Amino acid sequence: MTSSSACDACREAMSAALDGEADAGEHARIEAHLAGCADCRAWQHDAAAITRRARTGAVTPSPDLVDRVVGAAPGPRVRWRGVAARAGLAAVGLAQAVLGAVSLLGAATHAHHAVDPLEVLGAGMAHATHESAAWNLALGVAFLAGALWTRHLAGLLPVLGAFIAVLAVLSGLDLVAGRVEPGRVVSHLVVVAGFLLGLAVVRTVPRPGAGPTPGARRRLPSFGGGPRPETPERPATTAPTPWERESDVA
Amino acid sequence: MDDARITALALRARDGDRAAAGEFVAATQAQVVRLLAHLADPSVAEELAQECYERALGSLRRYRGDAPARSWLLAIARRVAADHLRRRARRPVAPAEPAEDDRPLGRAPQSDPAESAAVRDALAALDADRREAFVLTQVIGLSYEDAAAVCRCPVGTIRSRVARARADLVDALGEPSAQRRSG
Ligand SMILES: [Zn+2]
Repeated sequence: MTSSSACDACREAMSAALDGEADAGEHARIEAHLAGCADCRAWQHDAAAITRRARTGAVTPSPDLVDRVVGAAPGPRVRWRGVAARAGLAAVGLAQAVLGAVSLLGAATHAHHAVDPLEVLGAGMAHATHESAAWNLALGVAFLAGALWTRHLAGLLPVLGAFIAVLAVLSGLDLVAGRVEPGRVVSHLVVVAGFLLGLAVVRTVPRPGAGPTPGARRRLPSFGGGPRPETPERPATTAPTPWERESDVA
Repeated sequence: MDDARITALALRARDGDRAAAGEFVAATQAQVVRLLAHLADPSVAEELAQECYERALGSLRRYRGDAPARSWLLAIARRVAADHLRRRARRPVAPAEPAEDDRPLGRAPQSDPAESAAVRDALAALDADRREAFVLTQVIGLSYEDAAAVCRCPVGTIRSRVARARADLVDALGEPSAQRRSG
C-alpha cells in the first residue's frame, strides 16, 4: 500500500498542513488516511522534523549592504536639482513660446502693410519671418514638453545643439556686418538657456534602463492584482523582468 | 518587520526618502542574501544581492505598491539569480569555492555548523524548481500565495513543489524511521 497515489495525495496535503496551508477538509482526509497507513505516519513525523531543521539550520551570514546600495542611488539632492532644472526649462519654454507668438503676430500685421522688398529662394521676406516665428514657437513648445515628459528630452538636444552652433556662427558674422541688431541676437540666448537646462534635466533623470523605454512592452501581468488563474503546471520561466533586459544592469 | 511596513518603506523610498531606502534595504537584505545563496551560489550571494538592490532601486519608480514590496524584491532577486546562472553557464570557469564553514558567520547562526552544512547540501541537491519553492516558503517564510507571486506560477504549483522537496529531503536527510520499513 506504500507510495500509492493515495499516499502521494496525503503527503502533499500533509506538507501543506505543515505550512498552515491546508483546509479543514484536507485535515480530515489526512487523519482518515493516517489511521490506516503507518508509512505516511512515519513520513509526517520525518517531514515535520526536517522542516524544523531546514527553517533553523540553513542560515547564511548577512552582510550590511545599506551604505553600498543606498549610497549609489540618486539622492534627494540630485532629485531636487532635477526638479529645479525642469521648472527652469518650463519657464524658458514659456518665454520662448511667447517670443515666438509675438514675432508671429508682428510678422502677420507687418505683412499687411509692407510690400515685400526681397525675395530669397522663392520665399518673400514675410514668409521667411513666418518660418522663423513658427520655429521659435515650436522650440518653446518642445521645451515645455521636455519639462513635462523628460524621457523625450534627450532626443531633442542634438537638434538644438546643431541649431545653436550654426546660429552662433551666423549671428557673429551678421553682427560684424551690421545685418542684425544686438537685441535680436540676445533673444537667441533664451534658446541657449533652454539647451543648457535640458542638458541638466537629462543628467538628473534616472537612466532610461530603469523604466519602460519607448517600444518596450510589459511581458507578464503584474502580480497582486486580481485572482490568479489556476492554470495547469507551467514551468517557472526565467524570462526577463517586464520591461527589463540584461542591459538594464550596469 | 511585516510586509505592510516594508511596502510603506519602499513607497517612501520611491518618493525620494533616502532614509526609508536604507531601512528598506536593512529590513530585507538578510532574506535577499539567503535566497540568492540558495538559488545561485553562496560565494557570490552578497555580490548578487547588491546587483539585486541596484536593479530594484533603479526600477522603484514604477513600483505602485499593489503587491507586497518584499515579494516584488524577491522576484527581482530570483531573476538576478537566474541571470547569474545563465552568465556562468555561458563562460564556465572553475568557481573558487571558498571554505565557507571557515568563514566567521557574523551574527547569524545559533545552530550547529555541521547540521547547517548538511541541510544546505541537501537543499542544494534538490531539483531547482523544488528548491526554489521550498526555500521561499520555509527559509524565507513566504506564504504559498506570495511564493507563487514571486515565481509567477499558480499556487498549486508551489504547493506540489514544496511537497516534493519535502519528500526528497526526507529521503536525503531522514532519520532511520524515514526509510520505508514495509518495502
Ligand atoms: Zn499512505
